Amino acid sequence: MAHTLAVTTPTDLEPDVLPANVVRGYWQSVAYRLRHDPVTLFFGMVILLIILAAIFAPWIAPYDPYKESVIARLKPFGWRGHLIGTDELGRDLLTRIIYGGRISLFMGLAPVAVATVVGGALGILAGFGGRRVNTVIMRTMDVFYAFPSVLLAVAISGAMGGGIANGMIALSMVFTPALCRISETATAQVRNLDFIEAARASGAGTFTILRFHVLGNVLGPIFIYASSLVSVSILLASGLSFLGLGVKPPEPDWGLMLSTLRQSIYVNPWICAMPGAAIFITSICFNLVSDGIRAAMDVRM
Amino acid sequence: MMQIAPSVSNPRRLLRHLLSACALVGLSLSQAQAGGVLTVAMTAGDIPVTTGTPDQGFEGFRFVGWSLYDALVGWDLSKADKPSDIIPGLATSWSIDPNDHKRWIFKLRQGVKFHDGCAFSADDVVWNYARMTDNKAPQFFAQQFALNRGYMTNVANIEKVDDFTVAITTKFVESLFPYTMSYIPMVSRCRAEELKFDWNAFAMHPSGTGPYRFDRMIPRERLELVPNKDYWNPARVPHQDRMILIPMPEAATRVAALLSGQVNFVEAPPPDTIARLKSAGMQIVTNVYPHNWPFTLNFVKGPFTDVRVRQAANYALNRADFVELLGGLATEEYAQVPPFMPYYGKPVRYEFNTKKATELLKAAKCYPCEITLAISTSGSGQMQPLPMNDLLKSQLEEAGFKVNFKVMDWNAMLEIARGGVDKFPDIDGYNGSRALVDPVIAVIKPVAKAYWSPAGANWGHFYNAEIEKLVADIFTEFDDAKRMALLTKLHEAENEQAIMIFVVHDVNPRAISPHVKGFVQSQHWFQDMTPISVE
Amino acid sequence: MLVLILRRLAYAAPIALGVSLVCFSLVYLAPGDPLQAVMPADVTPDMVEMIRHEYGFDKPIPVQYALWLWRAVQGDFGLSIGSRRPVIVDVLGSLQNTLLLTSFAVPIAFVIGYTLGAIAGCFPGRWLDRTVTGFAVMGVSVPNYWLGIVMVIAFAVELSWLPATGMGPRGSDAFSIFSLGDLRYLVMPVFTLSMVPVGIIARSTRAAVAEIRGQDFVITLRAKGLSETAVIRHVLKNALPQVLAVMGLQFGYLMGGSILIETVFTWPGSGFLLAKAIINRDIPVLQGAILLLSLVFVATNLVVDLLQSAIDPRIRRA
Repeated sequence: MAHTLAVTTPTDLEPDVLPANVVRGYWQSVAYRLRHDPVTLFFGMVILLIILAAIFAPWIAPYDPYKESVIARLKPFGWRGHLIGTDELGRDLLTRIIYGGRISLFMGLAPVAVATVVGGALGILAGFGGRRVNTVIMRTMDVFYAFPSVLLAVAISGAMGGGIANGMIALSMVFTPALCRISETATAQVRNLDFIEAARASGAGTFTILRFHVLGNVLGPIFIYASSLVSVSILLASGLSFLGLGVKPPEPDWGLMLSTLRQSIYVNPWICAMPGAAIFITSICFNLVSDGIRAAMDVRM
Repeated sequence: MMQIAPSVSNPRRLLRHLLSACALVGLSLSQAQAGGVLTVAMTAGDIPVTTGTPDQGFEGFRFVGWSLYDALVGWDLSKADKPSDIIPGLATSWSIDPNDHKRWIFKLRQGVKFHDGCAFSADDVVWNYARMTDNKAPQFFAQQFALNRGYMTNVANIEKVDDFTVAITTKFVESLFPYTMSYIPMVSRCRAEELKFDWNAFAMHPSGTGPYRFDRMIPRERLELVPNKDYWNPARVPHQDRMILIPMPEAATRVAALLSGQVNFVEAPPPDTIARLKSAGMQIVTNVYPHNWPFTLNFVKGPFTDVRVRQAANYALNRADFVELLGGLATEEYAQVPPFMPYYGKPVRYEFNTKKATELLKAAKCYPCEITLAISTSGSGQMQPLPMNDLLKSQLEEAGFKVNFKVMDWNAMLEIARGGVDKFPDIDGYNGSRALVDPVIAVIKPVAKAYWSPAGANWGHFYNAEIEKLVADIFTEFDDAKRMALLTKLHEAENEQAIMIFVVHDVNPRAISPHVKGFVQSQHWFQDMTPISVE
Repeated sequence: MLVLILRRLAYAAPIALGVSLVCFSLVYLAPGDPLQAVMPADVTPDMVEMIRHEYGFDKPIPVQYALWLWRAVQGDFGLSIGSRRPVIVDVLGSLQNTLLLTSFAVPIAFVIGYTLGAIAGCFPGRWLDRTVTGFAVMGVSVPNYWLGIVMVIAFAVELSWLPATGMGPRGSDAFSIFSLGDLRYLVMPVFTLSMVPVGIIARSTRAAVAEIRGQDFVITLRAKGLSETAVIRHVLKNALPQVLAVMGLQFGYLMGGSILIETVFTWPGSGFLLAKAIINRDIPVLQGAILLLSLVFVATNLVVDLLQSAIDPRIRRA
């Protein structure tokens, strides 16, 4: 029978699977579980590789990402040392994809980071501040929460006229309300717990309590949720670029490359599929790693 | 005489409208040479407005404006092998008042009827003028004012002389004035009055004198037109049964729609799709036409105030590379207008010569020569702006320029074009494609002081005494041959001054299904769709 | 229940007002002049002023907001700058087309996602679970507009099985869901649009099923000697409300989020309208479309919330 044979997936490890003789703290146990989760480890390594490739692009990339050649346009895989061919301006596609990772990853990570800090702080403030502060912050967040995410991103960056900076602002605004809510909920739960009372009784100031007790307990849920947003952010940012609202050429960016290569699909469909594949693979990796982290931290959302 | 009543409120009228539309279709089916549904994928993002002067640039005029309407002056679009020029339209002839060179007399065509059956006369011309200019008139329509104003710079007044004669007064003497009247469509006063000047209703029930009647429209999606069997020029009664116009701004979508058989006439297929289209049996038609892709320059501030730098930029470009990049869908541009134009003359030819360009830059003491150019990511007539500008940058830098691009969307570019050099002093040049439809637009507006921005199209405030004198002579010369000689001289003088960075001329590619017959591509922005039939 | 409805409505009303304020102010963040899209290239400044006045752009911004809101409440969103048609007509018309797309995409996504998620949840850790989970992750990770482009090339251009673009040979007015020919136009947009919700619904179902399977009452049922099929039926029934709520939210997301798919397939819906309004800087259309779409979203959330409370009394807190 299924239930008797039920083997937990590596990402679903229950706490009691841990060796009983090892006594450790929460973060250590999380790390332990992550270390023993091959799926998450593998995809985490892939992400690390993509990030490293992006950072060290000038040393790794075989060609100049801006150097074009009219005679070398849209050449197939392996043509004269171009491993995955050339793009519509004869630039080396592999180089463009490696460099493109810089902006695409930045657009995946930066808005989430900004939203985590801003949303997290606002949420703690709302959870810890008075009733009035809470109402002002949370009702404002509700308003932004009332927009479907794609719509809000398109609306803000569309109104402000596109570009990396505007796209980043737009995406940060998309993610902030959700993170603020999570942070507020977590703070409110922690706030009335015994150990806060104890800390307060022992004379700790609000700031100290915030810093040591609240932050420690709120960070977990926020981090898990934020990790799941990275792939969403990459997809949204690439969508904005595709609509012409993101990065401006000739900067390499996966979404933009997808858009500019669209007309060349009749010349060489494989070349045109590459930036899409880059977005797809990166997005999958972030999703799986986020799942792994969630399982390891054993928090149900 | 079949009448199509406007069908706004009365359902019985609507029925009659539908019946008569069906009758029209039936009628045309019975004609031997006629037939088929022509489905056009336009590059426009929306259906051009149907209330008179269209938006969406000259594509709007091409497919909607000159289908539903006529202007006093028309264009001869019947030939593929010679440049188009103006011909009589709703006016049969025009002449300058010998005593007053600011007064033009237009004789109107008699017996012309609007689609609603009302006759066309001088009153309609005066009424249409008020519609676009007089905000106290009941028929005034701000949108048409906005769309028209640029064409009407030199119109001071229009008055009726008799039922079939109007007198048009200009603000300054302009021997080339008749071209102006080729951009002003005449809409039906009867229909507008019947609809109580509700121009939204008019948009769904437009009435003009043009070769097509309005049949149905789904806003933003499609406009369907049927032949006007009573068109005043029987030679231009459409040969197809129906023309459907679909806005499809995405080039890749237009190509996919043609290849999957959803449309049979596609505007501007991208170069990279040509081979695939040909292998599917599609006809690729191209023709030279007065469309160039230059950089308009800043003559107030920056390196381009020095003619040697302007010449250097022109010497630095290997235009053959651009043609290659565009898959052959362009011709090399060495002057304002393409060589087939009657006033081309023998302009200086800036053949690719990097060494010479570098010498000029060094002589001008601008080496390396840092310039800031505004380019757009897309836009009407902008061809393939990004790859082309990437190529331009690498060639200019080869010669010793240091190019900074300001990349923007099409509307931001229009704002720069409209704002003029005073508002954007730090931009040394912008890449806006130019529609050189008539001599005034092509060679006079970019250089004459009367057109200094923001009032006119001389964006960079070019001024040169000799050229100014030539323009004055042209405007006061009423002898066609002598004026042509002066225009030629002006064109040559502009090249000597290297007033722009010349890059390529577009060749207006279209991809057409093998079932589409009879299309003759004129050397013009406007095209005659009426001879087309579809098997 | 009535109290609950009123309470939720009272909560939603200020949000709707806030949404309207955001919609209105958002477009004033915009650089550039909204009027320039309708102006010819060589127009003079005094003409710009005249047109600005004619279009009502010369009043102070708070006055513009108050006027705009008052008219919006009455269904008047002004006229499109580009087309001069009433915005409400354009937005409602296109909203119908998006609704059509969503009404197909969401139920299909639910059926597929729920089935997959249930299978995965019943066999956690098995290859079936991993396959399904992998598929779900792919669904939420794929750039769906890219999938759309690839499908157009494959199925419309190369194989000629399906139309590449639009809503039928006579346009959206003549579209009929009872015509097999017209339905062909729906296939690719619906498929690509349902990729993300399939992934999300499958994942939520899997999680819900896995969670319920571990609850006490399931153990009790088993102890009572119920067959495994009967137990699974109980589990699935209990997971349904949660999953339905997820589906409801997906409906709202897709209504606002179909912009990329509609752009790829030239589907004349609200997303396509919005994309055009942004390109043309058509401010009234932008405001109207965003406001109506977010109100649809707010309303969907409200309905989902109320339905969930009706089904599951435990949620009826507050």
